[in-house]
Amino acid sequence: MTRLIGQRAIASLLSLFGLMVLVFFLSRLTGDPAVLFLPIDATEQMKQEFRALHGLDLPIIEQFWRYLLDLLQLDFGDSLRKARPALQVVLEAYAWTLPLALITMAIVVVAAIVLGSLAAFRVGGFFDRLVSIVSLVGASAPDFWIAIVAIVVFSIGLGWVPTSGVGTPLHWVLPIAVLFIRPFGLVVQVVRGSMLSALSAPYVKTARAKGVKNLPLIFVHTLRNGMLPVITVIGDQAAAMLNGAVIVETIFGFPGVGKLMIDSILQRDFNVVLAAIMVTALAIFLMNILIDIGYSLLDPRIRH
Amino acid sequence: MIIKNVLAGALMATGLVAPAMAQSNTDITVVLSEELDLVEPCMATRSNIGRVIMENISETLTELDVRGDKGLMPRLADSWEDKGDGTWQFKLHPGVKFSDGSDFDAADVKHSFDRVFSDQITCESKRYFADTKLDFNIVDANTIDVTATPAQPILPLLMSLVTIVPSETPIEFVRDPIGTGPFKMTEWTAGQQIVLTRRDDYWGTAPAVTKATYLFRSEPAVRAAMVEAGEADIAPQITEVEATNPKTDFTYPNSETVYLRIDQTVEPMGDLRVRQALNAAIDREAFIGTVLAAGTELAVAMVPPTTLGWNATLTPPAYDLEGAKALLAAAAADGVNVKAPVEVIARTENFPHVTEVGEALVDMLNEAGFNASLRMVEVAEHEQFYSKPYPEGRPAQLVVAQHDNSRGDPVFSMYFKYHSQGTQSGVNDPKVDALIEKASAATGEERAALWSELFAYVQKDIVADALLFHMVGHSRVSERLAFTPTIATNQQLQLSEIGFK
Repeated sequence: MTRLIGQRAIASLLSLFGLMVLVFFLSRLTGDPAVLFLPIDATEQMKQEFRALHGLDLPIIEQFWRYLLDLLQLDFGDSLRKARPALQVVLEAYAWTLPLALITMAIVVVAAIVLGSLAAFRVGGFFDRLVSIVSLVGASAPDFWIAIVAIVVFSIGLGWVPTSGVGTPLHWVLPIAVLFIRPFGLVVQVVRGSMLSALSAPYVKTARAKGVKNLPLIFVHTLRNGMLPVITVIGDQAAAMLNGAVIVETIFGFPGVGKLMIDSILQRDFNVVLAAIMVTALAIFLMNILIDIGYSLLDPRIRH
Repeated sequence: MIIKNVLAGALMATGLVAPAMAQSNTDITVVLSEELDLVEPCMATRSNIGRVIMENISETLTELDVRGDKGLMPRLADSWEDKGDGTWQFKLHPGVKFSDGSDFDAADVKHSFDRVFSDQITCESKRYFADTKLDFNIVDANTIDVTATPAQPILPLLMSLVTIVPSETPIEFVRDPIGTGPFKMTEWTAGQQIVLTRRDDYWGTAPAVTKATYLFRSEPAVRAAMVEAGEADIAPQITEVEATNPKTDFTYPNSETVYLRIDQTVEPMGDLRVRQALNAAIDREAFIGTVLAAGTELAVAMVPPTTLGWNATLTPPAYDLEGAKALLAAAAADGVNVKAPVEVIARTENFPHVTEVGEALVDMLNEAGFNASLRMVEVAEHEQFYSKPYPEGRPAQLVVAQHDNSRGDPVFSMYFKYHSQGTQSGVNDPKVDALIEKASAATGEERAALWSELFAYVQKDIVADALLFHMVGHSRVSERLAFTPTIATNQQLQLSEIGFK
């Protein structure tokens, strides 16, 4: 296991470096930050001073070399627009994205496993129909539409929760609820399919013949065998959430990393873009390790 | 922070925590469309920063009444006098204190300008001074002489654009702005909110508002919903779609002018008849109340009507499709390639329904006989087409642009848009250059008359561009407030102007 993690870590570090090089050079091809930071009628002298102040007037190779040296000291540079360390800006946003992703994924996983398993056990039954409806809504209704409708119904109409923001725990209800729908719809279908296959295995028939009751049969005997493909999809969905939930963050005023990244790209705030991508890549790398560990726990063959 | 957020989320899930929304009935909440990157006084001319800082935290020597009633008014300067040779003397209001308790004096004024002109930080207000060099002579604590080289006839007006900070302020962007204004910043939680609290030791009249909390939501429907749900009191920018409640929603001219910038150096736009045809082909009235909000006005100048030198005799070009076709035919008969490709370039999200406006413009131009197509671009790409140097080997391009001038004087617009050296100019006309230079140096009635003459010349004589609309903005204001948004709301939101019913 340790060896596996070590191999993954080395491969991921090489990928991170390659990603950093790629983003550094490609982002600088997309436009001049001075033009976007300064007003449209700024003089050429102001633009030149801005470039000189931020080292943007240097040859790109020299910019890269300086960036690399700073990076070795974990200095991602300052945000051009916010005039403070880019890494600090990104970590502040992550402090909101991470709990949002963790809580949402935890609810998604529990709900999808329970409802998906029950749906597979009684095909065409109540849980199967419920799962189909939620999956269909998740797959077909756009996030922004669900979010706006949720605000109109639950905030303005019923007054149960605030429209947006992060001031109190109640502010988290709508973002989590909206963010829940799409990954739940996907994961629950995978759970259902995987469990359908697992429930038809000969050992399940044997267990039934031996008088094992329904709930232990599903959640003790069968679930573990049906979880391998589910973990892959959960990892995929969690990675998407770690990238930030741009729509949900935008509508609910949630100060997460997704909106920060989009704004930084549009404003050509290179240091924040690079820091955000590196931190996100690191988070996804760590999550992949967790998935590998999960695989090996569920299937001992992988450990060997 | 992460653990705190996880705990908060977990508490939410158990329903153990209820929102704490208690506030004084003279506290208000303002929901803005974009978060502030900086709360830096020398960036206060940037509209999203200005709405929080300008005349709330930081004040200026003079103040322009952009509604057009009172003109240039005293603020930190009680009076000013032209001493000749480019020197203006400003008498400062005595007894003013900054929010850190220090006294305001002439040295603070000098230091504020030193910061603006420093190459150690990039202050936005510097752009208004372009090639003008300022020298400061501190006569006494409450008197300062400012000499502009070359002489700057609107120096007192320019003083309304620079906020004053204490002499101790470092020459770098600050995160805790100190000013002489009626409010001080008491909290800034990045990404979430900014809180201003009323000062008890303010030198002027105490505002009715005791505390203002600024929140940031990019979705206009959410901003409007927040006022409706009682979570906010003012949403300065909502869209027409949300502005449906006559009790709370206001429509007002927002000082933005939309126009088509014509680059006259590329065929067929160099021909006057082609430019006249272009203007005649556009049915401006058809946009209003359809893709643009009711209340939008037809533009006859680059600046709004509250600007010095406004020429009331000008009228918008009449829609005349047959006339446009005839003009194009006449140009074609003289060998002008009127079928040369014309790109209409517009910026996504520049203003509501910009894509529909672009599509309609292209249809109207093609109906008249142009060979036009629409190209939607994002902000950085738009800038490459809008500002010099223009791309080499380009076809004829009509750039859909929006320009804001709520500064009261055309000098902030006309050089950039029409002078042959102007950054966004498509014009190269010696008379235009001469008029701009003469008007910029003139004062009083002569200045107004020269600007007025220039407005007429560029619109009627040389048809420099296709002026389209003076835009309107929409705001939602809680019924408990006594506040009516105006043209000033686009740049600043003075809390002292807000009362309670």
